[in-house]
Parts: sequence; C-alpha cells; structure tokens
Amino acid sequence: MKKYIVPVLFAIVAGVSARAEDIITFWVRDSDQAIVDPLVKAYNARGGTNVKLSVIPAMQFVTKFATSIAGGSPPDVVAIDLIYVPAFSKAGQMTDLTVQAKALPFFDKLSPSHIRLAAYEGKLYAVPFSAEASVLVYNTDLFTKAGLDSKHPPANFAEIEQDAQKITSLGADTKGFYFSGSCAGCNVFTMLPLVWASGGDILSEDGKTATVDNNAVRSTLSLYRKMWEAGYIPQAAQGDNGTNFFTGFATGKVGMAGLGAFAIGLLKEKYPNIHFDVAPLPGQNGGSASFAGGDSIGIPKGSKKVKEAWEFIQWCLQDDTQVNEFAKHGSIPVRTDIAESAYAKLDPRYVVVAKAMATGKTPYSTKYNELLNDPNGPWLGMVQTAVFGKGVDEAVKEAQEKFTKILGAK
Amino acid sequence: MVRVARKSGGKVYKIAALYGVCCGIAFLFVLPLFWSFITSLKKPADANASPPNLLPSTLTLENYTRLLHYGDGIFNYFGNSLVVAMLTVIGVVFLSTLAGYGFSRFSFPGKNVLFVMILITLMIPFQSILTPLFLVLRTLSLQNTLVGLSLVNTTFQLPFSVFMMRNSFESVPRDLDNAAAIDGCDSKALLTRVLLPIVLPGVITVGLFAFVASWNEFLAALIFLTDADKYTLPIMLLNAQSGYLGTVDWGLMQAGIFISVLPCAILFLLLQRYYISALIAGSIK
Amino acid sequence: MQTIERELVAGTRWSRRRVSPGFLYVLPSLLFVVVFFLIPLAMVIWMSLHDWPLLGEPAYTGLDNYAALLGDSTFWDGLWFTTKYTILVTPPIFICAYILAHLVNSKMRWVGLFRTIYFLPVVIGLGTSSLLWVWLFNDQVGFFSFILSHLGVIKEPVLTTPNTSLAGVIVMVVWKTVGFTMVLLLVGMQAIPTELYEAAKIDGATWWPIQFFITIPLLRRTIALALIISVVGSFLAFDQFFIMTGGGPNNSTVTVVYWIYRASFTYFKLGYGSALSLLLMVILTAISVLQLVVLREPETY
Repeated sequence: MKKYIVPVLFAIVAGVSARAEDIITFWVRDSDQAIVDPLVKAYNARGGTNVKLSVIPAMQFVTKFATSIAGGSPPDVVAIDLIYVPAFSKAGQMTDLTVQAKALPFFDKLSPSHIRLAAYEGKLYAVPFSAEASVLVYNTDLFTKAGLDSKHPPANFAEIEQDAQKITSLGADTKGFYFSGSCAGCNVFTMLPLVWASGGDILSEDGKTATVDNNAVRSTLSLYRKMWEAGYIPQAAQGDNGTNFFTGFATGKVGMAGLGAFAIGLLKEKYPNIHFDVAPLPGQNGGSASFAGGDSIGIPKGSKKVKEAWEFIQWCLQDDTQVNEFAKHGSIPVRTDIAESAYAKLDPRYVVVAKAMATGKTPYSTKYNELLNDPNGPWLGMVQTAVFGKGVDEAVKEAQEKFTKILGAK
Repeated sequence: MVRVARKSGGKVYKIAALYGVCCGIAFLFVLPLFWSFITSLKKPADANASPPNLLPSTLTLENYTRLLHYGDGIFNYFGNSLVVAMLTVIGVVFLSTLAGYGFSRFSFPGKNVLFVMILITLMIPFQSILTPLFLVLRTLSLQNTLVGLSLVNTTFQLPFSVFMMRNSFESVPRDLDNAAAIDGCDSKALLTRVLLPIVLPGVITVGLFAFVASWNEFLAALIFLTDADKYTLPIMLLNAQSGYLGTVDWGLMQAGIFISVLPCAILFLLLQRYYISALIAGSIK
Repeated sequence: MQTIERELVAGTRWSRRRVSPGFLYVLPSLLFVVVFFLIPLAMVIWMSLHDWPLLGEPAYTGLDNYAALLGDSTFWDGLWFTTKYTILVTPPIFICAYILAHLVNSKMRWVGLFRTIYFLPVVIGLGTSSLLWVWLFNDQVGFFSFILSHLGVIKEPVLTTPNTSLAGVIVMVVWKTVGFTMVLLLVGMQAIPTELYEAAKIDGATWWPIQFFITIPLLRRTIALALIISVVGSFLAFDQFFIMTGGGPNNSTVTVVYWIYRASFTYFKLGYGSALSLLLMVILTAISVLQLVVLREPETY
C-alpha cells in the first residue's frame, strides 16, 4: 500500500495544479445570476482560461468577500455592488487597474457613476460590469381600470398619492403602491431618488457629512407614511426584507412600485399577463432622479491570476459581449455609447431606464454598508420609524444622529 | 369485588387517556417534519403554491434530482459535511480516549489542574472567541478549509468527551490493570487490548455526540468557510433560502432539509441508548 | 495504577526523561485546548484594547472600545432582548419537558417510541430547524401561517412584527429542545425510589401535592443542571434569529452573539467584537455562578 502513496500524491498534485492553471474564480451576487450564468458559459466556450462562478446571496456578499480576503483566499475576479468599491479601495483590497482601464479605447464612454465610485485618491480600482437604474414601474391595466391615463404616470408626490388612492379604491385587495418595508438596499434604490428629485440628499457630495435633516427627506417619508396609513400599501410590505421586492408588484394587484431595469425583462418573461410601463421616479414638485446602480468588477488583492482576470474583464466590456450577453439578457450595458442603440431595438421601455441611468446618482461613501445597506442600520431604521413607527420627525432626528456617529468614527 | 371492578374500570380510562395524549403530542412533534417531507415530494410549482396544499397532486422525486445540480451539487455539500463530521469524530475519539486514559490511570504533577483546565472550556462557549479564532486559523493557513473547521469543532467537543472518557475508564476496576500487567502488558497494550473494548460504549457515545454536533454546526461554518464549494449542508441550505426576487425554491429546500436531517436521525435511532447514557453520566456530575 | 507506573519506569525509555506517560496521553488534548481555546481567550482580551479592522492594521486604543460599548444603545437593547428571550423561553421548555417526562415515565407499551419521537428534534440541529420553521411560518407557502391565519390568530406574517416573531422563534426552540430537557428530568425521576410515592399515596396525597413535595425537590439537582444548560444556551442564541428574523423587524430581535457577529464580520471591527465577547463571557460566568448559588441543594433527607 505504502508504495502507491507517492505516485498517487504526485498525480493528485499534478492534476490539481494543472487544473489550477486554467481556472479563475469569479464571485457575483445572486441578483446578477440571470446574466452571469450565460455570460460565463459563453466565455468558457471560447476555450483557454475557465471561469468558475460562485453566486453568493446579496445579503451576505460583503461579509463573505471581506472574510475571504482577510482569510487569504479571495476570488480572482469579483463583481461587487458598485457602492462598496470605495470601502474596499480604501482598505487597499483591490488591485489598481488605472493603467489597464485607461488603455481601453472606450474608456471615457464607460458609465460615469461606476467610474466615479471606483476611484479612490486618484486611482481606479474597478471598472463597470452591470448597470441598473431605478424607475417607477406601473400597471397600465390597473391605471385604466381606475380611470387614470396610462400614458400619464405620476409626475410628482401629489399625483402618486392620488393615483394610489384611486387604484386602491378598486377594491378586492388591489393596492396602489408597493415597497419592501424591511429591505435597506431596495429603498436606497427606489426611495432615495425621490429625495434627490425633490432637491435634497442624505449625504454631502464627498460622503463625509450627514444631511439627513432636510425637507426633501421629510416630504418623501411623509408621502410613504400617508400612503401606508391610508392603506394604499399591502400589509405584507412591512416585513418584506427584499424577498418580495419584485413579486410584490408581480402579483398584478399593485398599481405602482419602484423597481429597476431587471424588472422589465422578468415581467415580460415570467408575467406576460401584466401590462406595464415605466417612468422616471418623480420629485415632490416634478423633476426626476434615479439611482445609478449595478456592479463593478475588479480584481481583489491576493489574486494570483491578475492577467487572466483582466482578460476576462476586458472581454466583458467588448462591444459584442455588451450587446449579445448583457443587453440580450436585460441588463443595461455599462457603455453609454451602445446603451441606447442596443436597447432601442429591444424594447422602448429600456430607453427610459437607459436615460435614467445616464443622469443617475450614486452616493459615495466608504461606510456605505453600515449606513445604507445594513438591515440593522440607520437608513432602514429611519424608513421604518417614519413610515410604520413613531413618525417622520422622530425618525429623521434619530437618523441624523446615527449617521453622524458612524461617519465620525474611523 | 365491586371495589376491584371500579378500580380496573378507572384504570382503563386512565391508560386510554394517557395513550391519547401521548399520541396527540407525538403527532404534533412529527408534523413539521412530515410536512417538510411531503413538500419535498411535490412538483416544484406545487411546492411553491400559495396558499399551500396539504397533499401533493403528484408525487415526484424531482426536487431531489434538482439538488444534484444546485450549486456544486448536493453530493458536494453532503461530502463536505461528512468530511468535517468524520474528521471531528476521529479527532475527538482519539484525543479524548487518550486523555481519559491518561487522567484516569496515571498520576503526574498538575493532573487535577490540567483536568479542570480542559473542563473550563465548557463554561466558555466558542461564540465568545470567534473573533480571535478566525485570526488563529488564518495564521495556521486553515481559514476556509474543512480541516480548520474540524479542528475547531473538535476542540469544543473535547471537554465533554474527555470528561466522559475519564468516567468510563474510572468505572473499570483496577484489578484488570493489575492482571494485565502480570501478563506483561505495557500501558499501550493495556489501553488498546484490555480497556478499550470495555470502554467502547463511552467511545461510541463520544463519537456520536461529536458527529451530531459537527454535522449541525452553523455559526462556525458560516464564518470559517468562504468558498462556496466548501460549504457544509446548513450553509448551503441558508443560501438556497435567500432566493432573490421571491424565487425561493421551497420544494428544493425541503428536499435539502430532509437530506440534512436524515444521517443524524438514523444515527440517533440506531444508537439511542448511547445518547441517553451520556445524559445520565452528565446528570451524575 | 502503581503497578503500571513501576513497570513503565523500569522498562521504558521515558523513565530517563522523567516525563510521565500519563502526561503524554493527555498532551494532544491539551495542545488543542491551548491553541484553539486558551490562546484565542488571551487574544480576545488583547484585541479588545485595539481598533482592529478586519482588513488593515490594528491600532492600540486602550479602553476606547469599552467606552464605546457603554454608549452603544443597540448593544444594550440586544442584551435586554437576549435576557427577555431567555426568561420567556425557559419556563415553556421546562414545563413541557416536565409533563413529557412524566408521560414517558410509565411502564406502558410503546413508551420508548414516544420518548424517541419527543427527542428526535434535538438531533436536527438548530440551523436546519430554523430553516424548516422559517418555511412553516412563511406567509405565502407556510402551513403554520396558513392555519394560524385561518384560525384568525394572526393577521400579518408571523415573522414581521416583534412580538409574533419572538413567539414564533420560541415555539420553534421549544419544539427542538424540549426532548433534551425531558430526558434529563426523566433520568432524575427514575432515580426516585417508588416507595416514596407509595407512602404518599397511602397518606392520601393527590397528584399535585406529590409533585410539589416529593418529585420536584428530589429533582432539584437535575433541574439545576438542566436549567444551567438551557439558560446558557438561550443566552448564546444566534442561529435561530439570524435565519428566522435576520435581527428584525427593525433590530428588535438582535441577540448578543448576533451583535458580536455583526461587529466583527459585518462592520469588520474585530477589536470592538472582542470587547463585546469579553463582556459576554463575564455575563455568562456571572449567570452560571448565580444559578449554582441559588439552586444549591440544601441538606435534605
């Protein structure tokens, strides 16, 4: 028996290292799964380096990713929610990609929001991967039934309230509005733009000061609270931690909801009976805004396959990949030079989203997770207190304090 | 005679009532598992039906076959859990048997102090040293490895196991040792050839507890495993449950739960008395 | 024992090194305990005096973490919640366990089967059990939610309001752990000599006084043991809240261990997490000592 050990070990080691040459590990969050599965398949079909995909639930993504870096075994490539790039760049955990990125021919056509968030102290630590923008999705059938003009979506808060009321009065469990009451990220995506469109913000431009206490925030929270108290929102919304972020609207019994481009593809594919249209998210007195989101892709420090990883990233950004993989599966291309043309052919509703993204905003903060995405953090706390709890004033005061405390800490 | 008749009549009622209550409670206990199992046999769309249907319209093993393709495949995760559990069992059995033997049959300076030191870990749970444990594992390059997780599991099973094994050895009369010595046994042979067969029930108990504790371990696995292909069953199930956009596959989940529960349930049914004996020993402490 | 030692001293090489073989047998276990327990224990204390980011360099900050801890309202809320949870979950477990232990303490047929069924959830694992019950309480597809809402008991999804989600978790925990306490009590009960019961019955005592004056006092030691195990276990609750409620709604079901996990692995502040861990240890020790003192067996019969 003993004499076999050495050759067997050798074979195993040889086999493992041979395979190791060809494989780069790639982590994405589950929200991207629909586009990434075919994307990786297409890349692997080309031969050469193989990409091994790992899909991590969005809620655990930051923890798992940071722990893997701290533990010394990070993935070779990672597609991370663009809002986290500042934090990881600051911690020195991403490879500097400035040189490679700037060498790309279409560099200045890459999504501005992504690039802005990928920059830290003058260097670039990631490039755009997938793009999302938030918009208001509304059920045209319900609009018509309620006597509303389905070509005239609400353009300010008063109209949102009115439309919600008319739809709710259709009865039979039909409700005017939906949002995920226990999901921090969902509301940053869909509620915060209302604040922006109303002329306010919760963070200063450099992300270092909390500006929670302002009228735009108050009126947005009041809008939601009024709709909740009047019963225009389904009861189940309060406890929804994001699991029903999309299906809340897809029940067909909800008039309006803040969603993103992903919803367009999903609705068309899985819920063809729901007739819908999209509109920009309005401000209190008109105007509109959007959360420019999505993922950026980068190479964690500690990856031993930087060259292969960059090859993969570059392939993702090419023209035909953008059109055939991203656009085809419903994701907005991150290249503004192709975005509109790619989409115009697919579905006019995408154009609304693409326009929204081009003018969309993204908060920049190295404390993003703690402040805004954490289910136990002050942003969600403020929303919940304002809408379901003690009230808007109390909520805003508490949030301003908590935000400031977190921003003040190192 | 009348008195006897009345007594036996009353007794029958009492026994019937007792059975009834026991059965009722047993039914309630089994119900969650039963529902889960039934749901795992439904077609996926049926399993996701809202409101839920009690009985499946058609029985199918589809959920189980789909588990084969979930992530890296159920065999992978099952294998991971199994590897960690077996390594833990081996580690625990080996270490605690040796230690129990050492504490029972030998005297050396500081013996009592060391024994207490090992038992102290019972008082302090691993949850409170998670943070530095992470760093220790990282320093040993064992973070994100099944071996590292097994080592952590082993350590925290040790106090109870060493205690059990020492008790087991203590309950074997010393005359056997003397007899064996006369026959020319040294301490190693005494352990392996004479004592081990006698303390085997203790070993089995300790192994059983180690297996179950390791198989079901959640928090440690959550933190110490970051590569998805290394996940153990509870973590895989957790991820399956975090379905995005309301697309949790409940049928798949119940199938996964069933597979998770099966090994420990079987082991328990086969080795019940060892479990109970451990609790008895614990009470005597 | 003497025989072996003498033999070993005479016959083996160890005698020259004067290391007791007993020590060598114990050594591997000791090594594990030192490396994976004692060293981390020392590290917790050391790390709690630093600002120690998960990614980055640690910096010595003295008692700053403890000062921050005092002002951390989420932590104190969590501590209060953990205490509340422990207080609420322990009586149901014990009352049910006591009743069940009585039921299976008879000599009727199939009592073994019942005992097995009641104990079965114990081997399932808290994580898996939480996942199972999250499904049962799910408002769309869960059977329990379905039944409860039809009975009019609940109007909203169980896991969305603070009180009902706590109740739901407690039900799950009772289901899962009662078997364990039941067996502990059962073992204790079976050690009570039946003559005592006979004597009481002859004196005309009925069920309740028998329990109160005979069974429970004689079970004192067993109850004490079971209580300590249960209370410490409840205080360390994590799995069920992480999986079933995610600490929500609105942070109302965050336990101490959950907070430690978040501090260390969501906010990446290992130093602060260590300070919290140390505090947890102190609290647990205090609770255990308190229980031992209060439940100490008086000199009886």
